Amino acid sequence: MIDLLVVGAGPAGLSAAIAAAEQGLKVKVLDEFPKVGGRLLGQLHQEPSGEWWNGIEMGEKLHQKARLEGVNIQCEVSVSDISRTDFGWSVYTSVGMIKAKNLLLATGASETAIPLPGWTLPGAISIGAAQVMGNVHRVKPGNSCVIIGANVLSIAIANELMLCGVKVKEIIIPETGPVAKDAGVPEKVMASLMRLTHLAPNAFLRQAGKFGKFVSPKVAAQFFPKNGIRVLGIPIRVKKAAIEIIGEGQATGVRTVAVTPDGKRIQGTEQVTEADFVCIAGGLAPMSELASIAGCSFKYVEELGGHIPLHSERMETAVPGLYVAGNITGVESAKVAMAQGKVAGLTVAFNTNGASKKTEMLVKCALDDVRKTRANALIEFQPGIVEARERIYVQFEQERIAVKQAITVS
Amino acid sequence: MTMRVVNHPVLGKLPEQNRITIRFNGQPYEAYEGDTIASALMAQGVKTLRKHEMSGEGRGIYCNIGHCFECRVQVGDRKVVRACLTPVSEGIEIHSLTAFVKGGQTK
Amino acid sequence: MSDEKTIVCRCEEISFQTISDTVREYSCSSREVKLRTRAGMGYCGGRTCRHMIDTIVAGINQEPIADEIQLSYRPPARPLTFGVLGGMQHDNESR
Ligand SMILES: Cc1cc2nc3c(=O)[nH]c(=O)nc-3n(C[C@H](O)[C@H](O)[C@H](O)COP(=O)(O)OP(=O)(O)OC[C@H]3O[C@@H](n4cnc5c(N)ncnc54)[C@H](O)[C@@H]3O)c2cc1C
Ligand code: FES
Ligand code: FES
Repeated sequence: MIDLLVVGAGPAGLSAAIAAAEQGLKVKVLDEFPKVGGRLLGQLHQEPSGEWWNGIEMGEKLHQKARLEGVNIQCEVSVSDISRTDFGWSVYTSVGMIKAKNLLLATGASETAIPLPGWTLPGAISIGAAQVMGNVHRVKPGNSCVIIGANVLSIAIANELMLCGVKVKEIIIPETGPVAKDAGVPEKVMASLMRLTHLAPNAFLRQAGKFGKFVSPKVAAQFFPKNGIRVLGIPIRVKKAAIEIIGEGQATGVRTVAVTPDGKRIQGTEQVTEADFVCIAGGLAPMSELASIAGCSFKYVEELGGHIPLHSERMETAVPGLYVAGNITGVESAKVAMAQGKVAGLTVAFNTNGASKKTEMLVKCALDDVRKTRANALIEFQPGIVEARERIYVQFEQERIAVKQAITVS
Repeated sequence: MTMRVVNHPVLGKLPEQNRITIRFNGQPYEAYEGDTIASALMAQGVKTLRKHEMSGEGRGIYCNIGHCFECRVQVGDRKVVRACLTPVSEGIEIHSLTAFVKGGQTK
Repeated sequence: MSDEKTIVCRCEEISFQTISDTVREYSCSSREVKLRTRAGMGYCGGRTCRHMIDTIVAGINQEPIADEIQLSYRPPARPLTFGVLGGMQHDNESR
């Protein structure tokens, strides 16, 4: 039987598979996407050193390493259901049932949407969809686009689309409302963009940060030029909000309105920006569906992007034989996901092969690496990640004790 | 018209791919081996993949990575797949799902 | 935001208006609003809409988003065919 079945061939799943296989475990990885690499595949940022972070190359490296270690990887397989059995897990997939002793969920994150009239039109797509189309499939969704949502991911991907030859006409904000909330309030948007100053992964983001270096977000929003600031030729307009995606049969543009620093519409300022396609950039949230089926308990943690399965720093959940790693435990960069994956793979080996001093040391080193990687992260999706993680680990230990007590009592 | 990104300043030149022919709603389209159904059709400027069952409004890809199920298309006689996850193959027959109409017929 | 024209659940075409009216009328949870309106009951299984619905419901009820996953996931997480359920093979999305 398989010792470890990994769901998700992204940076976390692959790194875990490699680490576990290196310790002699029999490992299989499943992914529903046709290519190995998960969301690494679309990534292309310039580091402060000027070097490019090329997700396709990194994905390829991990893939080869995994194959070398004898990991069995199967793409185009969807996992639809899982259940616990006395031997471990039965995993139901689009190609039948697979049995495994241990299960690692590394299903990553999904994008959060911001609904507005017209967003169901063909040609209105998520920002990630455009990234994958351009960088992975090497197809432009159109020659020009408007991006709704000004955040770290949308700015990075705007740059990537430009490299693909797409004219990004403007990055604007959604209109504030019950879902968009602060993402539609210019002074709040400024505050979050200004956090990127020193972390900025490339010149592009650094410039956006520079703008507000010496003033408060409120003042920055107040004096933010009506025409936006241009970064590498792309205007970012934080005081212009999208109110509708327009088009007959497919998207052909966005109806916009100017808004005050606190997000109120300014009468008589409606405009239309035409574009071949429109991207919605709402942000990312951990994808928790399978963990929920498996019986994990959850916490809603804003800093980590949403609902996350309660887990230890060693990537164990309270459910025996069930592990998690990567963005399912909170939205962070691919480098953190890789480091977490290694911890998970080693922990599974530690728990399967029996505790040994050597594996214990390896786990400790891997944990250290996660902390270091996190501290040096260039892209931080939310502030307060480190503190939020510490809270989760404490809550997990409390639950573990509670469960143990419940078992001894009964 | 093709929307392929042939020359990319960082990723380099698009490697030469085998060309194949796929059919979408009876029409032939050129595709590259390694395309998904969604990327092959997008490269040809086709954005509408299906009609919503109830309203009949056109729909295309939204997430492009298998999460939203908006890109459902029929392959062959009855198999329904996500266009964004399904690779193309020579001669593959793809059909749009259509809106329900009264009496259980499809438009 | 024009509430009627703003679709929240794309699969079932449920508008923001319908969801917020229902939450107000029954002061209900995400799970209940899902059962009442079908928002979140479609193919996406919540991956596109769960966060939106949670946010809308929490906003109207003026309470924080709950720790439990409010839209109870019912397996299968991915729609399956009869073929697969019957132990046959590969056709993963048709119903
Ligand atoms: C659209 C998008 C764009 C992103 N862009 C960036 C970026 O530019 N820079 C950055 O630093 N971070 C980006 N991220 C964050 C990204 O999540 C992390 O960088 C990193 O890829 C997370 O790694 P992971 O291994 O946890 O998950 P992923 O890389 O997301 O891998 C998860 C894998 O699991 C598979 N999977 C999920 N569910 C199932 C199932 N039920 N059955 C079978 N397979 C399944 C998926 O197909 C996927 O391949 C992006 C995330 C998304 C969603
Ligand atoms: S576009 Fe979302 S599943 Fe294919
Ligand atoms: S969008 Fe309809 S179920 Fe999620």
